[in-house]
Parts: sequence; C-alpha cells; structure tokens
Amino acid sequence: MTVITAPDSGLVGLASRRGRRRPSLLIGLSLLIVVLVATCAIFGSLLAPHPANAQDLLAGVHTASGRHWLGTDDFGRDIFSRLIVGARAAVIGPVLIALGALVIGNALGLIAGYVGGRTDYFIMRLADLVWALPGLLIAIVVVGVIGGGYYIAVAVLIVLTFPIDARIVRGATLQQRTMPYVEAAATLGLSPWRLMIRHIWPNLLPLVMANTFLNFAFSLVSLAGLSFLGLGVPLNTPDWGAMLAQNLPLIQTNPLACLAPAAALVLTATSMNLIGDWVYERLSDRGRAR
Amino acid sequence: MSGGLTAGPAGEPAAGGDPLLQVRGLRIASRIQGVQRVITVGSDFSLAPGETLGIVGESGSGKSMTARALIGLLPAGVRAEGEVIYRGRNVLALPEHELRQLRGAELAMVFQDPFTMLNPLMRCGAQIVELIRDENGRPLRRAARRAEAVRRLAEVGITDAAVADAYPAELSGGMRQRVGIAASIARDPQVLIADEPSTALDVTTQREILARLREVQQGRGMGLILITHDLRVAFALCDRVLVLYAGSVLETAGAAPMEAEPLHPYTLGLLLSDPPVDRRLSQMAAIPGSVPAPGDVAGTCTFAARCEWRADACTAAAPPLTQVAAGRWSACLRVAEIGPQMQAARAGAQAARDGDAGRAASPAAAGTAGAVVTVRDLEKVFGSSHRAGRRVPALKGVSLQIGADEAVGLVGESGSGKTTLGRCLAGLERPTAGTVLVNGRDATQQAGLSRAERRRLRRTVQMVFQDPYSTLNPARTIGATLAEAIAAADEQGRDIRAAVGELLERVGLPARYAERKPVALSGGERQRVAIARALAVRPRLIVCDEPVSALDVSVQAQILNLLTEVRRELAVSYLFITHDLAVVRQVAERVYVLREGLVVEEGQTGAVLDRPQHWYTRMLVDSIPSSDEAWLARAAEAESERLGSGDGDDADDSRARIAR
Repeated sequence: MTVITAPDSGLVGLASRRGRRRPSLLIGLSLLIVVLVATCAIFGSLLAPHPANAQDLLAGVHTASGRHWLGTDDFGRDIFSRLIVGARAAVIGPVLIALGALVIGNALGLIAGYVGGRTDYFIMRLADLVWALPGLLIAIVVVGVIGGGYYIAVAVLIVLTFPIDARIVRGATLQQRTMPYVEAAATLGLSPWRLMIRHIWPNLLPLVMANTFLNFAFSLVSLAGLSFLGLGVPLNTPDWGAMLAQNLPLIQTNPLACLAPAAALVLTATSMNLIGDWVYERLSDRGRAR
Repeated sequence: MSGGLTAGPAGEPAAGGDPLLQVRGLRIASRIQGVQRVITVGSDFSLAPGETLGIVGESGSGKSMTARALIGLLPAGVRAEGEVIYRGRNVLALPEHELRQLRGAELAMVFQDPFTMLNPLMRCGAQIVELIRDENGRPLRRAARRAEAVRRLAEVGITDAAVADAYPAELSGGMRQRVGIAASIARDPQVLIADEPSTALDVTTQREILARLREVQQGRGMGLILITHDLRVAFALCDRVLVLYAGSVLETAGAAPMEAEPLHPYTLGLLLSDPPVDRRLSQMAAIPGSVPAPGDVAGTCTFAARCEWRADACTAAAPPLTQVAAGRWSACLRVAEIGPQMQAARAGAQAARDGDAGRAASPAAAGTAGAVVTVRDLEKVFGSSHRAGRRVPALKGVSLQIGADEAVGLVGESGSGKTTLGRCLAGLERPTAGTVLVNGRDATQQAGLSRAERRRLRRTVQMVFQDPYSTLNPARTIGATLAEAIAAADEQGRDIRAAVGELLERVGLPARYAERKPVALSGGERQRVAIARALAVRPRLIVCDEPVSALDVSVQAQILNLLTEVRRELAVSYLFITHDLAVVRQVAERVYVLREGLVVEEGQTGAVLDRPQHWYTRMLVDSIPSSDEAWLARAAEAESERLGSGDGDDADDSRARIAR
C-alpha cells in the first residue's frame, strides 16, 4: 500500500507554540508562594526559629524586632514561628476538601451525565438540595452541636462543596458523550466504566483541575472563617484563622500579629486561583482539537 | 509576488472596461501572541461590473479571509496589506466610519451559515429593511417598510408575504439563506461577496440558491464574488475563476476555458480528483499529501510538494502569475512544457473505463442467509415516549439488506433519516420498532445474550464518522487509541505494538504515527486512523457516515481509494451514507434512496443514477452542479416538480408553520 505523508507542518507549529508557553511573572510568584506554604506545612516546626507555643508572659506583646521578625502576641509567642507552623492546619483541611469534592463530585457527575435518566435526576436533585443549604451556617451549626473538631468541619465542607464539581462534570460529560470518539469506543464494546474513566474524564481534566484549585481557595477561606469563630482547630494549635481571631485585639499594639496571618490567607488563596487558571490554559492547549 | 501594476491580471482590463473592484498585492497575515502567520502572500485580481468571479480554494487557502478583507471585516489580530481599490479609494486604508458607509451600501456580503447569519429575535422583514431609507434619508414608515420587505422577498423568490413577519427559526435553511441574500442586497450594493452561500444547505436547495444569486446579479448588473471549495459550483455560476491554494493564486481564467483545459497541475488535480457521477472509476486520481500552511511554503511554488511535475526551479522562488494565453494566467513555471502531458492525463481520466461492469453485484448473493445485516421495518421515533412532548419520526419502516463483501450506498438529504439508520445498525440508537439482524442474530433483542456475545455483536458493525476533528480522542495518542481497539477484540497473545504498526500501514500511514496525538494530524490522516480503528476489531460491516464530506477535495479521493483498497483486501462490507451521488457511484454497488424516513428507490447504483424512477431521485441526480447553461435555468422547474409532487417542501412547510 502506498504511504502518503504530508510535510510535518503540524508538529513544527506545535513545537513553537509549546516553546512560547512560559509562565508569566505573576504565575511564577504564585507558584513560589504555594511552594513556600507547602514547605512550611510539611516541615513546620523544623523551620520555625522558635517553638510555636513557647510563651514568654513577662515579655508580652512586642512589635517586630531582630529576634521576633513579626513581633509577639500577648502571651509573648513568636508570630513568625506560629505563622510557619500554622500553615499545616490552614492548608491540610482545604487539600482534603478539594480532593474529597473532586472524587465524590466527579464520580457522581460522570455517572449522572453518562447514564442519564432517573439516575441523573436523582443525583442532580441531591446536589440541588445540598446546594440550597446555607453552607457556612450549616457548618457552624453542625460543628457547634457535635462539638468542635477540625475534621468534622472538613467533612461538612466536603459535603457542601461536591455539588459544584458534580454539576460542572455532569455538564461537560453530556457534551463529551455524543462526541464521535466516545461513540466509536462504545462500538468497540468497551464497558461504560472504561468509557467514562479512560475516554471522557481525561478530556474534562482542564475543567476539573481548575475547579479543584478554586475549591481549595474557597475552603481555605471557609475553614479560616470557622477557626476565626473558634469552631475549627483546637485551642492553642497554631492556625492562621485562629491567629487572626486571637490577635485582633492587638491591632493597636502589634498590628502585624493579625495582619500577617490575614495576608498569608489572602496570598495563598489568590495564588491558588491564579494557578488554577494557568493550569486550565495549559491543559486545554494540550489536546486542542483544531 | 510583486504587486506590480502590469505583472498580474490586475493590469488586465476586465470584460467591460474599467474594473469595479481592483485588488493589488493583497497580503493577509495574522499575528497572535507575537507569532506571525501568513494567510495570503499577495493576490491580484479585478472584478468588472456585472461579472461573476469565483474564488476557489480548499481549507487554509485564504479564500474566506480574502473575502473579508475586501469589505474590511477581518477578525482582530489579522491585518491586510496591499490595495483594494473601489471607486478610486483604497478600502484597506479607509477609517472605520467611512468603511461602515461602504459596507452594505456598496459592498455587501452573504455568509455561509444561514442559521447564524440572521438575528433570531428579529422578524425577517425587519432585518431586510433595517437600513433602508427614503430619498430624504429618513427611515421608512411602517406600511412602506412592510411593502418594501415583501417586494425584496419576491426578488429572491419568496412570494409568500407571511415570511416577512416570520422569525428566522420558523424557516428552513434554504429560506433563511434567501432572506439573508435579500437582506444583503437591500441597499442595492454594487458588489456582492458570497462566502460559501450554499455549502451548509442540501444539494437540492443549493441549486435554488445559486440560481437566485445569478438572477439577482444579472437583474441588477452587480459584480458577484463567489467563494467556494467546489469547482463544479464555480464553473456552474461564474464567468471567471481564480484558483487559490495555500495563500497564493495559482491560476485564473474564464470558467469555460479552465474547465476545458486547466493550465496548472493543481487545477488539473482538483478536476481529476472530483469523482464523476456518470461512471465508476476503478481507482480515482488523488493528489498525494495534504494542504500545507501558507507560511511553510512561502517563497516556493505552494503546490510543489504535491506536484508530479516538480522541478528544482519550482522551489527556488515563488513563481509569479504570468499570462499564458489571452485571459489565461498561470503560476506554473513549466506550464508550456507540461501542457501536453496535463492534457493527456485529463483525456486518460475521461476515457477511463466504466468500472461498474466489472463489479456488478450479484443479487443472488444477497439472500438472508449470506447477509451481514438485514433490517426489517425499522422505525425510530425521537422524543419522549411517556410525556406529551414533540415526537419526531426519523425512520418510518425501512427494510434493507447488506450482503457479505458488498458496498451499499444510502443517499438522501439532511433529515431523511440516513444517519439514524446507520446509528441503529452500529448499536448507537435503539430502534423503536422493527428488527436488525446482524450475522443472523437479532441485535435489538439482547436480553438472552451473555456479555461476551453482546460485545462480539457490537464489534461486528463498526462506524466511521464525518468530522475528522472529533472522531479521535484528543487526550490519547494514536497508538493508545488503536491498541485499545485491538485489545477489545480479545485476541490473547497478539503483539499489540506490532499490530498497531500493521494497522497504520494498512491505512497508508507510517508506524511512527502511533506516538502522535490527533492534534498533529491533518483531517485526511485522522480519517485514516478512524478507519484503522474500525478495522482493528475485524468487523464484517463498516458504517461510513459521510466520511469524506468534511475533507478537502484533494484529500477526498485518497480516502475513497483507501476504502476501496481495504475492501478488496479484507472483504468487509460497507454501508456508505452520503448526500453526494458522485461519491456513492464510486464506492457502492447498490444504493438505497431515503426520503423522510422511507426508502423511495433502491437498486444497482448505475441503474438508479442513470435511470432514476422516483421524482425525488431524479431531483437529487439533477441537483449535481454542472457548467451546462441549462442547469441553473432548470432550478425553477425542479422547484415546481417538487411542489407538484404534493409533498411538504420547505416553502410549503414554512407556510404551514406560519399559519399555525
């Protein structure tokens, strides 16, 4: 049989397009911040110059100095160290929430979109129901009634977040399901699971990833809010939200004590949002059909 | 190419004295994120008053951008250089507000898609007369507006005044396109640019639209520029034709001389790879390769890589468009040398023997026993079955049979149910009633079958889809796609890697393509992979749903040849779904003509196309574009025959819908 090939113009074009795709300065900064936060979350107390809970009641509140870079709180605890150690409590919850919502939301969304009919109806009404609940209020009530507990707050937030994923994934699945390549795979006799996971889901990846980053940022702020209200981490555990609440009275004496954790929260959330957008663009480029 | 005043046909005075529109050195390029891409390298042409100029090109030739540049409607990031002279002014240099005065009033455009060209929330009449003013420059009064709209509609052949009060969604595609034309010419422009005006329409409606365009153009003495990918359409309608390829003009000539004797190898290739409708070729002449990006072939003859007469000089510099004979311009350096060879190739193709005789199907073999697929009284109704919603019958009792090693054609217009039938065979739709026997087994009753048996049944029928861009999973490599298909055929111990290579070679692609993602493949290459995927599970029947209609003309023949070749080697059957009778002639021995969910005619392909019995088949055959002067003239006759047949044609239909 004759082999007919055209000049590889497509590949050349692709390569040049890849070459240009260097992350911008803003994305670079965001990545840097996230890596920094992740390092703090993992190594925490090893990096901190002082033990996070070491009190110096006699010294009391201090503003920034060479010894305490961000000053101390009214128990004389080093703000900078608490900020570093507190990254773990601040970040681990949002990671769990984003992953939990990813798994549950994607599974339900794929099934709803692919199977359709009554299954779809049932799943989506469930999602609507959860969606209709006043999110944070429920979290406050549940955590308040069952009694504090970081992981209960995390679980509640997972339940409140997954409908977003389920909706997005269902919509995208409906769109993919009728694509010829999915139908062609169906005529090969592949199982519905294989179709959903190997054929449809990889094409939803940009959307899914972007949404997961957004979920992370959203739950970071939500959890910090719960901690601010005293419903998150146990007392004394260093955590950005809790620090913000505890150090609010010090706004006159050592403003950095509450501004630093606030800044950490805002920067991390913003960075994750920006990275989410960037990942979406990168992934969409990867398999661009035209 | 230089934009010199006398170097190109721009310098040539057009048929009737001063040209209406003169284009010199039109160079279009896009700049997206700092990367420049050439779209056209500098074209020269002119349009005389009352003249029809066809711009013919495949995808990526730059034909649509050229059209848009003429009225200053290029998308953001795309810039044009050179000159487009209209009434002594350079359109490209005009400021936006002056351009707006020109657009619609002097230079107007009709777009391809009648479904998006009109505002869905405005009544048709209002869209047509939106910008019409009286002699004092004031908007017309209500009654005058309506009268004007009705008059304009009559001009494009819509005599039903109710259409003026209808919303676009209430009209058929052909009607909408006519309303679109009426709206474009409402302000009596001097030049009308029609960008693929009939491509999105059914073949029978296409002729009607082309006939209307011609009528309006001749009635008003407008200049008409018709952009199309179809040489047949250009020859049917145009006085002069300009062939554009990868951003450069390769040939311009009068339509008749060009059809009689093309003076560029590319034009010749296009003519040869266009399947004839009156006979079957055993092998079609195909242009190898696919259309390059203009930027990759700049500075050479753009067609050189695919040309069988290529010489060193062809790639040394871009050959200029030079005058070869009176009114004939060609950008081929060797045109004088190879002219006789090109003519011989053309003559050879025209004399090619009728392949029908050799491959006549044996009707005896088509008994139920030997049939791969037997369909009896198949019905399919779309819409909710338990709610009182709209129920749309797509198939109303279709019976057909496909024998072993037989290629069967299924032709009809959009809405005839041909795709639904194919999808029912492939198991992608569940029929409402009737039976589908695959290998003698009822595929609609799968309850008693084991899972493995069910899968085997599914694999017996494979499908090749129309759109090459969505037929492959963009997230997976070609190799992964094929390996999965091979693994699905559960043959243990088969070397999958080697099998992938084998499959790729069978469809004419090198084995290294397994590493690539679909994005790196051209449309034709993707369709080859789709065929390989279908073959991987060793099916007995492949349903080909318009497999070539989204491909460039020069690539279509390659794929049709491949399908013929595959069948010769593997003895697989085809159900070939298409709207193109010329294509069906090339690939199928028997043909079924489907109309509104019913088979209206069936038989040997040659017999059906040469001696159609049903009026609908006759209309389909007659709607194939031909440069015969009478072809367009017969459009009105065909219309009345359709009305006379008492069936709901689109004009009738719209009236019924409006009346409701």
